[in-house]
Amino acid sequence: MTLNSVVETDFPEEFIEEIEKAQDCLPKKIDANPKTVEKGLAKLVLTLIELIRKLLEKQAMRRVEAGSLSEEEIEKVGETLMKLENKMKELKQIFGLKDEELNLNLGPLGYLM
Amino acid sequence: MKLYLYGIIDSSNHVNEPIYGLEGSCVYNIPYCDIGVVVSDFTGLVRMETKDNVLAHEQVIERVMERFIVLPFRFHTVFDSRDDVLSLVQSYYKDFKDNLDRLRNKVEFGIKVIWPSDKIKEQIINTCKKSNKKVLVSGDSSNKRFIRKKFEKYVINEEFQKKANKYINVMDMFFSKFAAEKKLKKLKTEDMLLDAVYLVEKNNQSAFREAFEHIKTIHAGFKFLFSGPWPAYNFVILQKKNDLLKDSKKEDLFDKVIRQRDLVGADKI
Repeated sequence: MTLNSVVETDFPEEFIEEIEKAQDCLPKKIDANPKTVEKGLAKLVLTLIELIRKLLEKQAMRRVEAGSLSEEEIEKVGETLMKLENKMKELKQIFGLKDEELNLNLGPLGYLM
Repeated sequence: MKLYLYGIIDSSNHVNEPIYGLEGSCVYNIPYCDIGVVVSDFTGLVRMETKDNVLAHEQVIERVMERFIVLPFRFHTVFDSRDDVLSLVQSYYKDFKDNLDRLRNKVEFGIKVIWPSDKIKEQIINTCKKSNKKVLVSGDSSNKRFIRKKFEKYVINEEFQKKANKYINVMDMFFSKFAAEKKLKKLKTEDMLLDAVYLVEKNNQSAFREAFEHIKTIHAGFKFLFSGPWPAYNFVILQKKNDLLKDSKKEDLFDKVIRQRDLVGADKI
């Protein structure tokens, strides 16, 4: 359709679906108009908390893998992470947010999560 | 009258042949020193994000590319006046010149790969079941069960990422042989293993294409999309930030027109 460029694939529908999926689930900016400012801010804050939670979780898993946590420490980490996850679920429910909404476009840096 | 911008070119000469851009307006060059900005007059009264407009933008750039080196502007880059355009070129002249030199005789190709992520995950899960990694956490308290579950997920995800890296490395090794520069995005979605753009010398286009065909044949079960040659949307590097954009969003002027280009692709398909 353009003069020289071609787009070739045997699976156009699949690619369109994936491209849309990648775009749709990632909001470009925080929605902070007067009507939705509360939800917009909650989304921003929860996104950051979710990022930290995931980092904590990953770090804990690395330590489990490395065998550097005692039984007691595993018990404590488990309790903390479980409580954190439950609290996040609760907050997401309160603000009507889904998991895939907790992300941010950081421009040239890509997406936060 | 506003101005719609298509690209920066390495010439201050007139665009000799008649080229028609958005709204059917004639395309012309605004010269600055030895470079120029390809524009057309623009009312901005029509709805912009239509397939026809996207194609018109792309076609103008491709026509201009036949004679000049082009730094393509993002779709829907509109300035209020000729003075604003000239201020932009004045501020970025050095950047534009550097990019024009770097991108001389080069074009961009896009490659997207979908992999059978479900099958890959299934294989990983089966392998993990056989391994003893999960017994790293023993005990039966709810906290430990929670950690065990998380750890299993973590192991699967790590393996998933490792496999993705392995496949991407193999593919990239072939493509990189013929590319001057590249930008790779891994796992934009679980299924989209790779979304890559490569900057390729014009005389390496066939070899790059052959590398793609080879990769395709050795990866049964994977789905591929090949596109190009495009203007080098993804490889223009600007050092300075500008404040002159009016109607366009304040993002990098030369940022990739992903959505627009995908529309073009969808139409072609």
